[in-house]
Amino acid sequence: MQALSPFKLLSRFGAAFMEVALDVGGMAVLLYKVIRCFFPPKLDGMETWRNLYKVGVKSAPIVVVTALLTGAIMVIQSGALVAQFDAFGLLGWGAGFATLREVGPIMIGLMFSGRVGANNTAELGTMKVTDQIDALRALAIDPITYLLVPRFIAIVLMMFLLTIVGDLTALVGGAYTGQVLLGVSPSLFASSVIEYIKLEDLFNGLFKAFTFGVAIAVVSSHYGMTTSGGAVGVGRSVNNSVVASAVLIFVLDYFITSILH
Amino acid sequence: MTKHTQAYVAALSPTQRRIAQLGVIFVPIVTQVTEILRVGSLAFYYAFKKPIRWREVVQQSFFIGNRSLAFVMIVLGFLGMILIFQSGFQAKRIVGDLQGMGALYLQLLFREFAPTVTALMLATRVGTGIAAEIGSMVVTEQVDALRMNNAEPIQYLVVPRLLASIVMTFVLSCVALCVAFGTGMFVANTVFEVNVATFYNTSLLEWGDLIIFSLKALAYGITIPIIASQAGLSAFGGSEGVGTATTMAVVNASLAVTILDFVLSGVGYIFFFS
Amino acid sequence: MIRISEVYKYRGHECVINGVNLVIPQGTQVGLIGPGGAGKSLLMKICAGLVRPDSGSVLIDGTEVVGIGDVEMTSVRSKIGMLFQNYALFDFMTVEENIGFPLRQLGGRTEEEIRDEVNRLLLAVDLPNTQKLFPNELSGGMKKRVTFARAVIANPPILFYDDPTAGLDPVTSGKIFALLEERRERGGTTSIVVSHDILGMRDICDSFVLMDHGRIVFSGTREEIEASTRPFVGQFWRGEADD
Ligand SMILES: Nc1ncnc2c1ncn2[C@@H]1O[C@H](COP(=O)(O)OP(=O)(O)OP(=O)(O)O)[C@@H](O)[C@H]1O
Ligand SMILES: [Mg+2]
Repeated sequence: MQALSPFKLLSRFGAAFMEVALDVGGMAVLLYKVIRCFFPPKLDGMETWRNLYKVGVKSAPIVVVTALLTGAIMVIQSGALVAQFDAFGLLGWGAGFATLREVGPIMIGLMFSGRVGANNTAELGTMKVTDQIDALRALAIDPITYLLVPRFIAIVLMMFLLTIVGDLTALVGGAYTGQVLLGVSPSLFASSVIEYIKLEDLFNGLFKAFTFGVAIAVVSSHYGMTTSGGAVGVGRSVNNSVVASAVLIFVLDYFITSILH
Repeated sequence: MTKHTQAYVAALSPTQRRIAQLGVIFVPIVTQVTEILRVGSLAFYYAFKKPIRWREVVQQSFFIGNRSLAFVMIVLGFLGMILIFQSGFQAKRIVGDLQGMGALYLQLLFREFAPTVTALMLATRVGTGIAAEIGSMVVTEQVDALRMNNAEPIQYLVVPRLLASIVMTFVLSCVALCVAFGTGMFVANTVFEVNVATFYNTSLLEWGDLIIFSLKALAYGITIPIIASQAGLSAFGGSEGVGTATTMAVVNASLAVTILDFVLSGVGYIFFFS
Repeated sequence: MIRISEVYKYRGHECVINGVNLVIPQGTQVGLIGPGGAGKSLLMKICAGLVRPDSGSVLIDGTEVVGIGDVEMTSVRSKIGMLFQNYALFDFMTVEENIGFPLRQLGGRTEEEIRDEVNRLLLAVDLPNTQKLFPNELSGGMKKRVTFARAVIANPPILFYDDPTAGLDPVTSGKIFALLEERRERGGTTSIVVSHDILGMRDICDSFVLMDHGRIVFSGTREEIEASTRPFVGQFWRGEADD
């Protein structure tokens, strides 16, 4: 690496900053355009239904597997502590609280972004580089209402629903691991969950899931629609899309956590 | 389906056939796992065989570090704040005492969050990068051109990425650990008024934590580039194929990280912490 | 010598190479022609051991290439040069590095010698002063000439040219054909040339093979093909539309 002069470094930093600003602006405009389509509702019913089915089928197995493992890992990690203080009655609370509020939505969000978000970017990106999007415009079909709105609905709704499924699965995985590893009976685990965990914890996590869903939908569609440069470009877009989604998931999580306290 | 299986399936009753169709779900999983193992074992075979393109290894390490340092730092920084926020409020409510928080937090970072969350981020950043790069080389026949010149793609492309990733996953996990601990300390100090000196408490750390940290970083560092390379090498078609390969890489790599995390955490618990 | 016998390749249920038998004697240049999608590129890749057929055998100088691994292929591959239809240039290497790659892989030459050889070839294909450019900075025709140079630089005894003149202007295309002819006259090279430019190929091939739908429908010398009474053969050779 040759040494960089301070000026060069500064200009490079500025360029990177401009790029990020452009992306953020593009996403905001995209979100606005999509939301506008709901007043009054303008969407393709069949296309929405197809997308819901596709997104759900594609991501359900991986969400279930991830959630099972996540619940188990949470119990393993709190196991030593619980055994040390002989606090077996708190295992359900510890694992349940962490899963419902934080780890569940984050892990499911990351997996969902990898499975559905990346796929969305790849699909839209391929359509973009092969001029299919322009072809739609030429046929007087609005790509936003026809392509993006159904995907938005599918991604946000499925992320929300799958988090509910995932939360339940994670608790099951946690309870089972607790029994195998620590000899905590599932009924003790369950009563600990019921006693200490408030409905508010679940809703907090689900609210996060909803926000992550919107973030994944906006980010993946934005990078898909701005793809250029053939096969290499599609790869680059997918890469940017999953990275931006992951950053947004953690940043949003932080702000939601700190504001709702 | 071969002719033989076709005849076999035709002879089944409708119910039996429906059950047999369940196998269709497992066939792609099994083929993919076998394929990953094949790429992995070949990569190891070539990793111990000369020549190794050391310059390429250095360059790839630089790429991995350069591309993901900021990303890993941002994510782990926020994660550290989130974790302390949540556990601080809970501990205050249930235990009422925050003095031991730092020690526990440090232990948990070593055992779980620093290596695993870093790996999840590398699976998205580096995993998609490798799959996209190798995938577009496959669909533009560059991999065929390599093979025509007796440059075995796994030796030429995968091995440098594997070695670079092993080193950089470890390095980035260490960075992640420091960043997450730092931001956690900041929140503990500003929100919960825990003294910095109290928070920085290594009394709970054991050798086991260090070993699990290193084992996890090593396992993730090996798995991510191999899974991503396999996804890239299996690409076909044009830009669509590259898109599919990158998606496959993130999903498979993240899933593998989660499974490894589960296994290694279990192993750690049984060997060191129970 | 290349001996292809009973090669079949399926894509799903569709047969894309349908029982091909072909012998290419030592030192001859064969023109492989046929409509788009006939399976010409695929057949070449099968010969180079890049694609594995579902059944059949391909012998290259007596070595079976079907079903053997890349490691065992090493000795066969170092005899083969291949010009890819879609360039297949390494996009992370400069033009100079791309062309020199086969020599560097073979070993036994200094960087100096490799550079001289690369420069000589670049001159021959009419691309002076492009050494430091990357493939994405080249036009389609320039890329074609770079792949040509990369295919022939190591003077391999077997050469597969897949559409060496596609996208070239008539003058450059003529130059490339002249280079092929020069190589043939020097002798010792066994080669297959795929091209849609039948006029340009007529004089530089010892025999022709016409493929359609994965099958060989005709093979013979130029005289034989011109004398053929089969409508498809005549039409394709003269480039007439069927009606
Ligand atoms: N690896 C492969 N496996 C199975 N089928 C393939 C493979 N590669 C190509 N094909 C199929 O083989 C058929 C013939 O393709 P090929 O590229 O050989 O045509 P071609 O004769 O070279 O045409 P053109 O003149 O347009 O280059 C196509 O239908 C293609 O889809
Ligand atoms: Mg072809």
